[in-house]
Amino acid sequence: MENAKQLQFEKPKFFERLKGMLGVDFYRLFHTPLFYIFLGIAAIIPALVSMGSMGGGEGMFTNAWQIIAADSPLYIVRDMGEYANMNMVFIFGGIMVSIFIGHDYRSGYVKQLFTTHAKKEDYMISKALVSAFSMTCMCVTYLIGGMISGAATGLAFDINGGSLICAILGKMIMSLGWASLYTFINVIFRKKFGISIVLCFVLGTGIPVIGAAALLGNTPALNIFLYGSSVYACLSSNFLSVLICLLNSAVWAVVYNVLGWLVLSHRDVY
Amino acid sequence: MNAIEIRNLTKSFRGMYALDGLNMTVPQGAIYGFIGENGSGKSTTEKCICGHLVPDKGEIKLFGKPYTDAGVRARVGALIENAGCFPSSSVWANLMMQAINLGLKDRAGEINRVLKIVRMEDNAKLLFKKCSLGMKQRIGIAMALLGDPALLILDEPINGLDTDGMRLMREILVDITKNYGCTVLISSHILGELEKIATHYGIIRQGKMIREIAAPEMDSRSQVYLSLKTCDMREALKLLQAGGYDVKYSGDEMRVYDIDDAERLSSFLLQNGVTPCELKKHKIGLEEYYVDLMSKKGVV
Repeated sequence: MENAKQLQFEKPKFFERLKGMLGVDFYRLFHTPLFYIFLGIAAIIPALVSMGSMGGGEGMFTNAWQIIAADSPLYIVRDMGEYANMNMVFIFGGIMVSIFIGHDYRSGYVKQLFTTHAKKEDYMISKALVSAFSMTCMCVTYLIGGMISGAATGLAFDINGGSLICAILGKMIMSLGWASLYTFINVIFRKKFGISIVLCFVLGTGIPVIGAAALLGNTPALNIFLYGSSVYACLSSNFLSVLICLLNSAVWAVVYNVLGWLVLSHRDVY
Repeated sequence: MNAIEIRNLTKSFRGMYALDGLNMTVPQGAIYGFIGENGSGKSTTEKCICGHLVPDKGEIKLFGKPYTDAGVRARVGALIENAGCFPSSSVWANLMMQAINLGLKDRAGEINRVLKIVRMEDNAKLLFKKCSLGMKQRIGIAMALLGDPALLILDEPINGLDTDGMRLMREILVDITKNYGCTVLISSHILGELEKIATHYGIIRQGKMIREIAAPEMDSRSQVYLSLKTCDMREALKLLQAGGYDVKYSGDEMRVYDIDDAERLSSFLLQNGVTPCELKKHKIGLEEYYVDLMSKKGVV
């Protein structure tokens, strides 16, 4: 053909591709109201939790930091209210991730991504990292909201600073594992993000682990699950707790990313 | 070098074959018109090339490399079914996301360049959902043009466009192949429009390529005929058949093939007592070529 020109094809390296994909996802995250709405929700949850705990006169919390994490790693609790702490970020985070990824498929934008050099593994990693980032941000707004709510309800702020930092750090680290799980669920259900939302919600509440705890008892073996480790990051945490959270989150992130990559590679994009 | 080379491509959906050993060759720099009935496998082929569908078997090469090669894929742009934009984001934001994904350096400059090509430079701030169908198609083309693509894959880009929109789309496609050396694979049912721009054609049926032909070759093969109307069509038919003319009479139109001298035919008819009422010269175009090919039994 007379119009044909000499072409050169430069193969982008993995990190160049990932940088591009992460750039797109962060651009989208910061340019859509969804992210800010969920940051707001995360900030409001502690107020609702502390208000709910005040019902019936004597409150459930004796210390403001109990709004952030439980006193001890209890998998079996007497009151559902005892589950209400920063772990709730992972429930709402699941909803946010489902909407975020579902829109990729609903709008058809995912076609644009996969037509170009983007690989399926780039997509999984990028979505998991951006979702983990947004959940970590939600943890921060939850923390701020929790402190304000604690102060407003007149709760004490006495705590071992080191344990508190370990608990918050542990929960933030767990965001990566949760984000990878939610990304995996969403690449399975794709456009049907209603199903993803329900599934993420159910898993985020930790119901399967709570059910297992009812059978097995309050055993540390439950720490191998995402919810288990998230509960383990409590107000009696230490450096070991952070390490366990890190290990658990990293292992599950790898598992779900590999599974997601396999699903994407062997199935049609539509 | 060929821009696209497909060998024995097969793709099935729940046991139904959408592509059944498809072979296809698109030369570099061509505007390749991809034609076929609904459900013949055009979109499936395009989606396989774009990596949206996983083929059952077969080989796809783009510019001599496997179609999964990231280097080649970075130079592929596509508009398949819709523009693939976020409705609540602006035209600019949608293009920006693709520019970031492609790792372009001068993103703003590149976005302005493609918006200018598709004549959308004044609508950059518009929300995608507020755009008309024609505008959305043009945004899809702009998106596909980001990053100097070597290959453009367009699935029915002129569907739903008005006459002006079609003309604009035609100008854009000719412009990008001429000035940017891009290869274009375009599928469409509007054969008249396709005929104006395509340099090559591929006709697909039931998941198989039944004919690939270059536009000049099709031109040389196209039969010339005269359409004739007389007061007594039956008498004219008898007369022309007796005179050794290649005639076809369908009831409302009589065609005399392989003759382009209307004066000679008119004289022949008049000399034999038949007065022609209307005599027009025609050439069989893409549409008739396609219909004729499709009507042949056993062409699969």
